[in-house]
Amino acid sequence: MIAALTVRGLTRRYGAVRAVDGISFDVAAGEVFGLLGPNGAGKTTTLESILGLVRPDAGRIEIEGSAASAPACAKVGAVLQSTGLPDKIAPREALTVFGAFYSAPLAPQMLLERFGLAEKADAPFDTLSGGQKQRLALALAFVGNPRLLLLDEPTTGLDPQMRREVQDHIAAIRQEGRAVLLATHDMAEAERLCDRIAVIAGGRIVATGAPRDLIAASGAATLEDMILRQTARA
Amino acid sequence: MSAVFALTALSLKLNFRNRMAILYGYLFPLVFLIAFWALYRNDPVPLALHIGQLLTITVLGGACFGLPTTIVAERERGVWRRYRLLPARPWVFIASVLAARLVLLVTAALLQLALGFAFGMPWPAHVGALAAAFLFTAFAFMGLGMTIAMLVDNVPAVQALGQCIFLPMLILGGVAVQLESLPLWVQHVSVFFPGRYAVEVLQRSFTGTGLGGSGFDLLALALIGFAGAIAAAGMFRWDRSFSPNRAWLAVAFGMWLVVGAAAEWRGQVAVSGLADTQPVGTPRDYAPSAKPSAAGWHAVTETDFDTIAFDRLPADQGIVAPVSRSDAVPDPAIVPLLDQIRDGLPGWAPGNVPDPVQRTRNLLAVAAVPDILEMEQVERFVPRLVFARLQAVIRPQDLPKILYWIAMHPDAGDDGAIHQLGVLGLPDVSGATRPVHARIMIYAFKLLGRVTGKTPPL
Repeated sequence: MIAALTVRGLTRRYGAVRAVDGISFDVAAGEVFGLLGPNGAGKTTTLESILGLVRPDAGRIEIEGSAASAPACAKVGAVLQSTGLPDKIAPREALTVFGAFYSAPLAPQMLLERFGLAEKADAPFDTLSGGQKQRLALALAFVGNPRLLLLDEPTTGLDPQMRREVQDHIAAIRQEGRAVLLATHDMAEAERLCDRIAVIAGGRIVATGAPRDLIAASGAATLEDMILRQTARA
Repeated sequence: MSAVFALTALSLKLNFRNRMAILYGYLFPLVFLIAFWALYRNDPVPLALHIGQLLTITVLGGACFGLPTTIVAERERGVWRRYRLLPARPWVFIASVLAARLVLLVTAALLQLALGFAFGMPWPAHVGALAAAFLFTAFAFMGLGMTIAMLVDNVPAVQALGQCIFLPMLILGGVAVQLESLPLWVQHVSVFFPGRYAVEVLQRSFTGTGLGGSGFDLLALALIGFAGAIAAAGMFRWDRSFSPNRAWLAVAFGMWLVVGAAAEWRGQVAVSGLADTQPVGTPRDYAPSAKPSAAGWHAVTETDFDTIAFDRLPADQGIVAPVSRSDAVPDPAIVPLLDQIRDGLPGWAPGNVPDPVQRTRNLLAVAAVPDILEMEQVERFVPRLVFARLQAVIRPQDLPKILYWIAMHPDAGDDGAIHQLGVLGLPDVSGATRPVHARIMIYAFKLLGRVTGKTPPL
């Protein structure tokens, strides 16, 4: 079975610093794959390399077996750490305009309802709460009906209730058979959502597997303890 | 293509939700128009002779401030970074931004023209040519705006760099200040700014001969716009964290130098000789050896004419007491006014009073007042009408003597005629009339030189 995402030997340097150093992994359809690690470990650089925001120095990226290019990227939806949208754009407008870039976009009204934005459909972006903005970011990532979603710390900065809402949406995405690559700091979130995780430290993957298996194998009590041990070793 | 239209429509909607954008994009051009209308209130036709300047200012503001401000602000906020995740090439986003900006520029210009028409501005002589000239101007300045947008990192930097380009172009580039009013050296500087070509091609389309003879101006604008587009493409970036290669600036601004050098090579850079800005002075300045005469104009002799230093008079092509060349063609916009003056002079009461000296003085006032009021172009064509009329209504043997008498006694006589110019289509003069006397003196000297053969004929 062809993986939704294949990354092989991904390397990205900033001067003398190797932000990402030969990372390889696969994400299968219907799987949530987590990237965990401390700040500066290389999670965001990995995601941005896959999205084409950063040009890798080496490595191969494939989306459903095809090299990452414009047609392949049409199958990818993404939520960046901060969603940049004009202050006065309304969610319905953003979904309509973004949808114009895809051959078979999902209906704006359906997305507004799915992500709980129907009541704010015509409100300016700068009047939305943090949670509403993040749900809009998820809705925008969904506009092209993507097979693969790349989410970079989508719940950072949200209060517990809003964080839970966004996590519920991510769980629902997995149920639809879509693949998700999730970069997160939140251990509870990773344990709850991720089928497998890769622990990154110093630009390298130091451990890969299901969260429960990794905890058991390391002898740690929690996922957080396991990651602290792994990153300390690296 | 639907993506371009959708994004263009969105850009326009967002623009109209931004109060500052409305202020800069629409209100400022109207304020400029009202300012020009007030400043040149004595023009023969309202605003028409300045519409090239006004439209250029509108495009310049929208393209050099509005366009880069929008792009840089969105890039700062990460909007363009988010756009990059969409499955489309960069030209889709650039095309939509430029299309939206063009719509904004065109609507701002139409609004400006509409207000101009409300003030009595005539309909453009060549509507199609005006539209084409506007598109060339917009292309040139949007290329510049894109270059600025790709170069700078933040909105304050757009304002700073924009002002560095905007103000010199307004003042030295023949945009806010007409070339005729600029010193010769500044006229040479102006060919290195695109604003000069924009003003000329727009003005010629509105009141002149259309695009005929505008080939170089259009080529200059196209080249400058093209160079700006290439430089902007070379420096294009989705994200402010990437530094542009500033070497591309040499392409954009190098083209300004190339176009300016080509203009110098072609010649025709100077539009007037402007070395005559000295004060008008008194009769003694022009006839230093003349003897006082109290015997009246009948006593003037040819010997008196020899005392006049005609070479000290202001040049006909200057701004003090100008006289048009015999082969000069007035702008079509002022022809109706010149016709009105020519047709009105025979029936104008002050031009038919019995006293030939007062009659001559009154007719000379018709030339002097437009000069004092700096009425664009009119001031240099009216003297020819007045001189022709004087030669028709004053006996040839008397005319030189009377002109000499008036020139040597500029403050004598009655000023009533100065306030009766309305029937000729000229503005009434309020306030002190002494400056008019001085211009009457100069025109009397100038016509005297011609009728006595001491200066070249008209």
